[in-house]
Amino acid sequence: MNQVELLHQPESPILVARLVLAFGSRVDPPGQRGRQQLLAGVLTRGCGELNAEDFANKVESYGANLRCDAGEDFLVVALKCNNDDAKFLLPLLLDMLEKPSCERDQVNLERDLNMQTIQRMREDPFYLCHEKLRQLLFSDGPYGHDPIGTRNDLEKIEPESLLQISKQLAAQSALLVLAGNPPSSLQEQCGNRISGWTNKIEAGPLLIPEPLDNFAAVRCRTEQVVMMIGFRTIEIDNPDALLLRILQVHLGVGMSCRLFQIIREELGLAYDIGAELITRSSDSPMIWHLSCGIDRAPEALNAFLGEWRRLIEQPISAAELNLAVAKIKGQEALSCETLSQRADRLAALLSYGLPKNHSELCLKKLPHISPSELQQAAQRLLQKPNLSVCGPAAAINDLKHQWQVAMS
Amino acid sequence: MMVASVICSLTLPNSALGFPAPQQHLLGNGCPITYLPVADASVVCIEFWCQAGSAMERNTESGIAHFLEHMVFKGNENLPPGAFDLQIESIGGSSNAATGFDEVQYHLVIPPEGLALACDLLPQLVLQPGLERESFQMERLVVLEELSQSEDQPEEVAFQRLLHLACGNHPYGRPIIGLRSDLLNHGPADMQRFQSRHYKAANCAVAVGGCFESDELLKMLAAGPIGELDAEQDPALIDLNPDDLHMHWQPGEHHLSLPRLESARLLVAWSAPFAADPEALMGIDLWAAALAEGRSSRLVKVLREKLQLVESIDVEVHPLERGSLVILEAVSSPESLPKVRQELEKLLTQAQQGFELQEIERAKRLLGNGYTFSHEAISQVTHHLGQDSLQKRLLPLDAPLQWLKQWDQDRLHSLAKEWDLSRACILEVLPE
Repeated sequence: MNQVELLHQPESPILVARLVLAFGSRVDPPGQRGRQQLLAGVLTRGCGELNAEDFANKVESYGANLRCDAGEDFLVVALKCNNDDAKFLLPLLLDMLEKPSCERDQVNLERDLNMQTIQRMREDPFYLCHEKLRQLLFSDGPYGHDPIGTRNDLEKIEPESLLQISKQLAAQSALLVLAGNPPSSLQEQCGNRISGWTNKIEAGPLLIPEPLDNFAAVRCRTEQVVMMIGFRTIEIDNPDALLLRILQVHLGVGMSCRLFQIIREELGLAYDIGAELITRSSDSPMIWHLSCGIDRAPEALNAFLGEWRRLIEQPISAAELNLAVAKIKGQEALSCETLSQRADRLAALLSYGLPKNHSELCLKKLPHISPSELQQAAQRLLQKPNLSVCGPAAAINDLKHQWQVAMS
Repeated sequence: MMVASVICSLTLPNSALGFPAPQQHLLGNGCPITYLPVADASVVCIEFWCQAGSAMERNTESGIAHFLEHMVFKGNENLPPGAFDLQIESIGGSSNAATGFDEVQYHLVIPPEGLALACDLLPQLVLQPGLERESFQMERLVVLEELSQSEDQPEEVAFQRLLHLACGNHPYGRPIIGLRSDLLNHGPADMQRFQSRHYKAANCAVAVGGCFESDELLKMLAAGPIGELDAEQDPALIDLNPDDLHMHWQPGEHHLSLPRLESARLLVAWSAPFAADPEALMGIDLWAAALAEGRSSRLVKVLREKLQLVESIDVEVHPLERGSLVILEAVSSPESLPKVRQELEKLLTQAQQGFELQEIERAKRLLGNGYTFSHEAISQVTHHLGQDSLQKRLLPLDAPLQWLKQWDQDRLHSLAKEWDLSRACILEVLPE
């Protein structure tokens, strides 16, 4: 069922739109990693009567921001423009999905640009380490690669095959979120158009292979070692998701968080340290990350392992829980400052099948959660850590040995 | 009720961008407090700014401004390490800081009921750093890790080299984070001297935006360490090398090869007017947007879309107090770099003949909307007010939109004539 949602802000001079489709990189077929992101890029290269140049001219002449990107779960078209220009640009946004041009030369250009971007991203040891971690956690499964794909796979994608899938985009389960003050006739026009989108999304079940190993590394002549510990956890709408968020906030949000206090403030081991929870339809990864000097890497890994054991073996204190709860309340207040933030939040909730008042419901549950519940959640969800490392070969060998001993 | 130490109150000309007119009070010691009450905001943002960036460092002090910003969060005898973060984050607030060439800024976002706590803690934290020896040694390790992290990013290394080649011994030619050799030598006493020299009322500014009661706010800030800041600067302590005040621009052509670089870079830097001349900088912003913002811009259209020589190309204007910088970066394959350079030269020469009206209108819309879109949140506006208050050029929020209107085709043509590669510092970077 397609849906249009309005976040009405009568005085706003700005209009924000998010069009979300269940065409994220998780539906990239085997051997075509990067296909959905390539498709997303090509959608901004012409539609209907407009070729790529005309399309860019039109959008830019209104001074608008228009992007289309594939995340892991969804493909999102994002528009930000003056409210007065919405009547010209919102229909264009729908044309992108209904009448994409997908011209051969534009597909080839976009593909070359993505391949060059991947090449450049390889300069960043954090990217290399994260890619290795994805493979460790998800193997060749749906979440096992960055949406931008790989050079080898992109090279093999034919423009004609992209044209074929582009014809399926006007599909069921599309969600359009508008934020601002669009004329009601325009809102109605958008609703009428997307309600006619009837293509069926034939997404099979998410089959994610089990990890074969729990250690992986990329050799790199760097001064530092980048380390990422990753856990494959649960789907965003799982009842345990709130418990997992509390654990992540406790570990990695703000300068009072546990990892920052122990590893940076007490031990001085790293500058950049944190813990992220990347919410997904399934198997959301939780990632702890740091980078530190080669000679201190074993100490940093020990500290990481110590924090992992602590989380499994003992409940966090009531004061630590209260702190995490306060931070979540603060995050909620700060995440609705701008129209874009509010549109992103609503689009994410509805796309994942969560209710609009999901945040309020979570806030109501927070006071009733106990440290022992969190410990049990950690024992269920964070039992199997995986380590990815990027750095010089000698450091990798030492860390691998240390990891194997710790995990045995 | 007016606070005793507040000697001057100004209301700026008008409201803009959907916000009411900001107001400013000068404390008795001259420190400006700029504030923007917005009753329906869900948060309060407080920013403390000081003209104590890396450009104020003396020869062997490199990195001390940024290191001090780290040390500030180590607290003092009344606020032990971590106590500030714990108290602020326990009420759902968050804090951070950033050091630039010209200034350092500390910011806090808190729920409205946390205002009194924030007004109590932030000034203590920023203005009364303990600089305790053991914390100092520990934080030095963290700063050195930060330095190593940036040295592992080839793009960052190339960018620093460009600044060094272009600005020479001027402070803008040094990395803000400092040189490793200097960082290893700094002690708490050196840092204390730097702090005492620069954290003076005349060099500081506070900006507050969001949901709060103005009188209450002013009373709290005036009664604490901000109101107690020294009013007078000691000229003997500000004996900056005159060469540091004005940049001696060094045009030229250079080559660099870097390990672990995967794509080639063409970096081009030009010197531009001082940040104190924002109207002139707006013209350069317009020139840059016509050249390189969006697929319809000249450089992107030709070099990326038509000739397919670059992965990306952009031009950014960096307003700076002692001479702004304009930096162009093109990313390409190593084989394409010579051709990129050749075509760029051609396109800049063409731009010297001026732009079509349609190109200018497009660039104006992009810039104008970009400015409006980036001033939507109270935190964004508070940041803007803090920086402008510090540099004593607080203007209506929509002033940049007015300047943009002043730039017509003829005026932009006159400006574009001066921009070519002959007065630029050029760095071609290739994989080793």
